[in-house]
Amino acid sequence: MASLASGWRIQRRVIGALMIRELLTRFGRENIGFLWVMVEPLLFGLLVGLLWRVARGPEEHGVTIIAFVVTGYLPLTLFRNAVNRSVRIFSVNASLMYHRQITIVDFVFVRFLIEMIGGMMAYLFVGVLLIYLDLFPIPYNVGWLIAGWVVYCAFTFSLCLVLAPLSEMSDVLEKIMPVTTYIAIPVCGTFNMVSWVTPGAQQFLLYSPLVNGMEMMRHGVFGPSVTTYYGFTVPIVGTMFLLALGFTLCRKVRRTLVVE
Amino acid sequence: MIRCLDLAKSYKHGHRQKTVFKDLNLEVAPGEKVGFLGRNGAGKTTLIKLIGGVEMPTKGKVVRDMSVSWPLGFGGGFQGSLTGYDNARFISRIYGHDYLAIKDFVEDFTELGSHLKMPVVTYSSGMRARLAFALSLAIEFDCYLIDEIILVGDHNFQRKCQYELFEKRADRALILASHSAELIRQCCERAMVLDKGVGVMYSDVGEALNVYSAL
Repeated sequence: MASLASGWRIQRRVIGALMIRELLTRFGRENIGFLWVMVEPLLFGLLVGLLWRVARGPEEHGVTIIAFVVTGYLPLTLFRNAVNRSVRIFSVNASLMYHRQITIVDFVFVRFLIEMIGGMMAYLFVGVLLIYLDLFPIPYNVGWLIAGWVVYCAFTFSLCLVLAPLSEMSDVLEKIMPVTTYIAIPVCGTFNMVSWVTPGAQQFLLYSPLVNGMEMMRHGVFGPSVTTYYGFTVPIVGTMFLLALGFTLCRKVRRTLVVE
Repeated sequence: MIRCLDLAKSYKHGHRQKTVFKDLNLEVAPGEKVGFLGRNGAGKTTLIKLIGGVEMPTKGKVVRDMSVSWPLGFGGGFQGSLTGYDNARFISRIYGHDYLAIKDFVEDFTELGSHLKMPVVTYSSGMRARLAFALSLAIEFDCYLIDEIILVGDHNFQRKCQYELFEKRADRALILASHSAELIRQCCERAMVLDKGVGVMYSDVGEALNVYSAL
């Protein structure tokens, strides 16, 4: 038990130190410093929302369009950033392998955590602002909103954990990643709800853990004014599978990682 | 005690494979001073990296029953874009030490003054060596892994290292990779000569140096 507790203490220390280091190297101490982490998702959510508002009018399928886009785009930004940032993460951070208490899984986790915290801060900020401007409903059920967010994040992290080692094994991955995340937008549930598509397509979409998470979040925000479909089986099985695969691949890559 | 059991390391690049060494066995007891000798590319640095856990062996394993420092070389363990102080903070955080104590020691040992507020990329190799040394001496280890680095600094720095490492920490184990016969003779009780993928340990340093100079 003692070793478990001390392991946990070391782990917490390492994660904290890596977070600070990452925030410093990425954002520095100038002007707003680490608050930049929420600026990108914030601007994306707000501006794309406005764009849709101008192009499509105030409402779609019975919900405020800005609120709809914001609920979809903020998680998408998290997904895209987290996934793109996990590419080549090991070779970039290789010099940290000089300290044995740091593992390569920590790198992936820390980068993901920063994106997640940035996304949550942006969500909170945009939400409060838009509620004030009466463009966003007061969430119908915050519990489902959080549950959906957790499901969405857990799957995103497990995917990062697979992509990070894969990107070290093959150069091709790095090149096809941006286009893949773009093509994957429909299965992220960002701009489409399950209830809008045909029953056949619905079944297909519900095999995406991200869609399940997104539907939960939308249920949490809009409540019964939209029809939502979701379950926990697909996200949990999908996440567990990718986590197991990711840990295995990380171990494999670590054995051959070359440190200057 | 550090034990290397049937250690082998090879690097793959595409379809090529290069074996650095194989079937290497080594034991270092607490307080022992061991030197590694070998020509460039013989695997001294690789062996030190494996002992330090920076890279993983292709075969075999390293068992560490005492605390082992990270390998002290030029760059290792630094974040170049961060300042000297930020690196010191980082080290104090991950090793769970008090930052202020480390800061004082680093300032005193490195004599870098306001350079410590500059990113490490702007340092000369001698300045880096000072910082690297200061950081690892600030965290107390049972065994220090040193890769050539002592030879980099100026006279004043070498004297300080001498004092901190060989006098103040005379009870610690030391693993030293170097080309300098004088240094190995002076500091080590045993030496391993690495050549053509094989490591041979000599309990007599003079003999090891003779073998090495005949390579």
